[in-house]
Amino acid sequence: MSDLDRAIAQLRACRPIPEAQVRELCHKARELLIEEGNVVTVKAPVTICGDIHGQFHDLMELFRVGGDVPDTNYLFMGDFVDRGFYSLESFLLLLCLKVRYPDRMTLIRGNHESRQITTVYGFYDECLRKYGSANVWRYCCEVFDYLALGAIVLGASTALEPRSAPYDRRRSTQELDDSEVEIEVVERDGSINNRYPRAKPGVVATPPQESPAKSSPTAKTGPPGSAASGWSRGTPTSTSGAVLCVHGGLSPLIDGIDKIRLLDRKQEVPHEGAMCDLLWSDPDEIDGWGLSPRGAGFLFGANIVKVFNHSNNLSMIARAHQLVMEGFKEMFENNIVTVWSAPNYCYRCGNVAAILELAEDGLGESAHPRTNGDINRSNGIVLREDKTLLAGPARRYRVFQAAPQDSRGMPAKKPMVEYFL
Amino acid sequence: MALSFQEADGCATIWLFVSAIQNKFVLVNNGSDDAMDDEVILDHHYPNPFSLPTPSLGNLPEIEQVVRNCNNSNNGRDGLAKFILSEDYIKQLIPLVDMAEDMEDLASLHKLCNIMKIFILLNDNSIMELVVRDDLILGSVGALEYDPDFPSHKANHRQWLGKAGRYKEVVRIDDDDIRRKIHTVHRLQYLKDVVLARILDDPTFSVLNSLIFFQQVDILTYIQSNPLFLKELFGIFDAQETNQERKKEAVLFIQQCCAIAKNLQPPGRQTLYSSFLDHGLLSVITFALRHSDTGVRVGATDVLVSMIDHDPSMIRQTIFRQMSEKQTPLTDSLIDLLLVEVDLGVRAQIADTIKVLLDSGIHPEGPKMGGNDFNNPSRRVIVDPQHIEFVKDFYDGSAKKLFQPLIDLKDRGDMNFSIHQVSLFTYLIEILSFFVRQHTHNSKYFVLSENLGDRIAQLLSSPEKYLKLTALKFFRNLIGVQDEFYNQQMMSGRVFETILNLVTETMPRDNLLNSACLEFFDFIRVQQFKSIISHLVESHRAEMKKITYVEMFQNFITRYDDSAGFDSTMEASFLETAGSETPKRSGIGPRRWEAGIKDIDASEEEYFNTSDDEDDIVNKSARSVNGASPLSKPLVDYPSDEENENMEADIAPSSSEGKKLRAGSSKEVEAESALPSPPERLSEKRRREEDEEDELNKLSQSKRRNSSSSNAGNLLRRKKSFSPQSGTVSASKSNKISISLSTAIKTGGEGGGGESGR
Repeated sequence: MSDLDRAIAQLRACRPIPEAQVRELCHKARELLIEEGNVVTVKAPVTICGDIHGQFHDLMELFRVGGDVPDTNYLFMGDFVDRGFYSLESFLLLLCLKVRYPDRMTLIRGNHESRQITTVYGFYDECLRKYGSANVWRYCCEVFDYLALGAIVLGASTALEPRSAPYDRRRSTQELDDSEVEIEVVERDGSINNRYPRAKPGVVATPPQESPAKSSPTAKTGPPGSAASGWSRGTPTSTSGAVLCVHGGLSPLIDGIDKIRLLDRKQEVPHEGAMCDLLWSDPDEIDGWGLSPRGAGFLFGANIVKVFNHSNNLSMIARAHQLVMEGFKEMFENNIVTVWSAPNYCYRCGNVAAILELAEDGLGESAHPRTNGDINRSNGIVLREDKTLLAGPARRYRVFQAAPQDSRGMPAKKPMVEYFL
Repeated sequence: MALSFQEADGCATIWLFVSAIQNKFVLVNNGSDDAMDDEVILDHHYPNPFSLPTPSLGNLPEIEQVVRNCNNSNNGRDGLAKFILSEDYIKQLIPLVDMAEDMEDLASLHKLCNIMKIFILLNDNSIMELVVRDDLILGSVGALEYDPDFPSHKANHRQWLGKAGRYKEVVRIDDDDIRRKIHTVHRLQYLKDVVLARILDDPTFSVLNSLIFFQQVDILTYIQSNPLFLKELFGIFDAQETNQERKKEAVLFIQQCCAIAKNLQPPGRQTLYSSFLDHGLLSVITFALRHSDTGVRVGATDVLVSMIDHDPSMIRQTIFRQMSEKQTPLTDSLIDLLLVEVDLGVRAQIADTIKVLLDSGIHPEGPKMGGNDFNNPSRRVIVDPQHIEFVKDFYDGSAKKLFQPLIDLKDRGDMNFSIHQVSLFTYLIEILSFFVRQHTHNSKYFVLSENLGDRIAQLLSSPEKYLKLTALKFFRNLIGVQDEFYNQQMMSGRVFETILNLVTETMPRDNLLNSACLEFFDFIRVQQFKSIISHLVESHRAEMKKITYVEMFQNFITRYDDSAGFDSTMEASFLETAGSETPKRSGIGPRRWEAGIKDIDASEEEYFNTSDDEDDIVNKSARSVNGASPLSKPLVDYPSDEENENMEADIAPSSSEGKKLRAGSSKEVEAESALPSPPERLSEKRRREEDEEDELNKLSQSKRRNSSSSNAGNLLRRKKSFSPQSGTVSASKSNKISISLSTAIKTGGEGGGGESGR
């Protein structure tokens, strides 16, 4: 294990580890990933991250913003490699952390985790440059084939944890009870940028009551049936609180999460079919399905997402795959969100990045034992009476910018050492 | 400050204003400096309205400002570019870098860097060429070392480019021009990959790439049209050359040539490769493949792969020549190496190479596509007789060597392997899967005679999940080719049973292996492989009943029960409708079998003719089991069964001929069954299933070391199938009740499943 910790330390310093170590790491990762389902079940609390694209220094910034790894659970929704100049270090670090803390790291596959795409968009070249042979690329591609295709987050809290930081609500104009806040946007310094309340009683049409077990007495927040208690503005159709995470989006071939289980995922990302769509599709303001301009996957409209979420008892879908200048973007009445975690994408897009925090529900039934002293984390004993109704999870988006220039070396590729021609 | 203009007019106005201010500025600051004179002169001849003051550390801020402004309009950029070229302005700037460095004037260095960046990003070919000129390159990249975006860093571009030692010359290139071009390419690449990597926009990127491309074309043209050079290059591999280092470098040199050639137009590549081959490239590759240095082996496989990517027939022709000259063909060298190679990269490349060399031109997109491939006539390529001969030779000799590690599994009980072995198996199984798709007949005979199916089935019980998965993939590939012959082999090898057990073992856990197994069975469901479904339900009903977390297995049972419940005529019509329900399958069937019959080759026919003894055994055992057929009959006790039996009894005597035929090639039977004569087809089909099942017993007897155990297994199985019979009545009752429901489920499931299969 100390070897692994050493490797982690070396990678954190943005120095690649030797080929033999990569081989060993990939071997271990493979054994671990083979045990994961096509859709991994992840319990809240978890921090969901979008594309990284080899922007190593920004990944380190992400860890600074979101908390370091054993303390915060992470779910990365693919596209670790390509475009940036440190795909290798970024991916290997994430993989090391996965092997070191298997329960605290979840990695799912993005469309760039593919042999074909990486040969075009830089990861292959990077490996060739940094090691002089494509072996490391081959090891990594082998691991790509084992990555899960999606994840489902269960047990997320409907309320944000109270934040004890003194700057709490500094900028907030509305005085809201913590339990009423559904969405909170937090800047890097911890200041709150914006807060959105849940829908007030009566604003949203009364949703059909779910099984009585779920809607048992909830006197505190509103009369039964008024949807006052657990109903978020944006998630009117589900009380499960489950969040499906995929890299791209939905597929016309997949009408239920169980269908994803029937895929043999250990293969190169195909050019068509369900597996391809999960990694390539995009939501769009259209009706039904549309052809994707990407040449793979589909576009899907609001109705598709709502029907899918309803029939699968999801409160929302989190995905990545598309650059969002603001770092995150909720669409279709909060049924789907795009999370993007590569600030100043390609070192020139000028966008900010975001990560999505889902808190653990207070009942403690899904609580992991955690180390103490976590910042901004519930201690697991906050019990809320309204927990019996599961609503759309409360979401805290932490927005951050590209790592300060000084913290990274000059981003560049490693030049060829010798040349004949 | 940065301004942008939409109109050229607006820019010109501002420009005039700026010039005016600039003049004042120069006058005020420099007094009677030389610069002023220049400025005045420039002002006088104004054909090019764009001009910059003669650079000095003092006026850098001003220059930067002007350059920035110009950069914002097309006119400005054009003018600026013209000016830079006509005045050789970069040359004037460069001395300032050293000056500023000496004075540790970081501000000026940053300014210089900004100016240089803008110059380069003007996307002017000539400026780009100027920057990498021998006398300017170091100064240019020197300026770029001080990027104001990274004030605390300094790059070391000059160090990288300054050392001449990075350039290696294996064979002296006499042409100065070409040598210069080689350096230019290197510098441009360095600019592209390192210096400008972060700031490169798409137009600059393409300008750089095209510059590099044109230089490379010139270089390669020089090399391939220079026989003296080539002679010397390949002469390095002669016996009298003792400098091993030089041999190694020569291989790497050729590797680099081939890597560059990938960018050329195909005809250009063709000439280069041909002239390489004429000079003995193949023996160089053979030499390099055996080299102790991994880098050299990687180089050799790289060269090989790039040529094969270009045109595999080129290499094949050379191999044919080798064979006709009784030399060891390259394929054999590759196989030898694959078996011992430790470097993953080399191994992967060799595995690919072997596949491509033996490729007969059918390109399935992967196991997923399975049967669909055959629907596409364009995939069927007429292969030349030489290639057929080559493939045949391969199966006669080399194949056995290649797959020996799998064959050796025969007497091995322990399924723990070293990492090296595991990875070797993976490659071998991958290659075999490919061959099964490619060489339908040769590979079929080979797989059968070496019992490879059983060997790979052994791997299904390896403790290593990864290996299980690889083995599973192989069988998924086998059912993907939709060949009844393989299906029967798998049934006889109890592969389905093993995989079903895998599902049960992994069931509570949702993991990759479990999903892969489910996909395997889902494929059977979607493709409606009747014989497999019958086999599954007949032999493994109990196990399947227990798997309820997916509806698929219940679906198999209902479907089987539903279809078995009809009497013969109804069943015939059912089969027919089933056929029309699945246009895919009926579409593939005839065409493929037709093709299959056409290319049965002599060796196969011979094999089947000579295996008559076995056939007799088959018949014997078939008969004996036929006698006992009531016991092994389907579980459901319908009145129609009697009818079926009678029918079969009628057929039995006349079918011994048919059996031989069947045993020889199930394809032909299948082809028959595709003929439009439903009742006959039904009986044919039933009988075949029945017999194939018997062959299953035969095969398992002959191959199992402990035959008694297999007998026991048979008995057990019979008993199993017998004992539930008493319970069947009630089962069938409940089935009857649930029929309407289950069909509803079925159609629902099929609708979705059909889609997901596509």
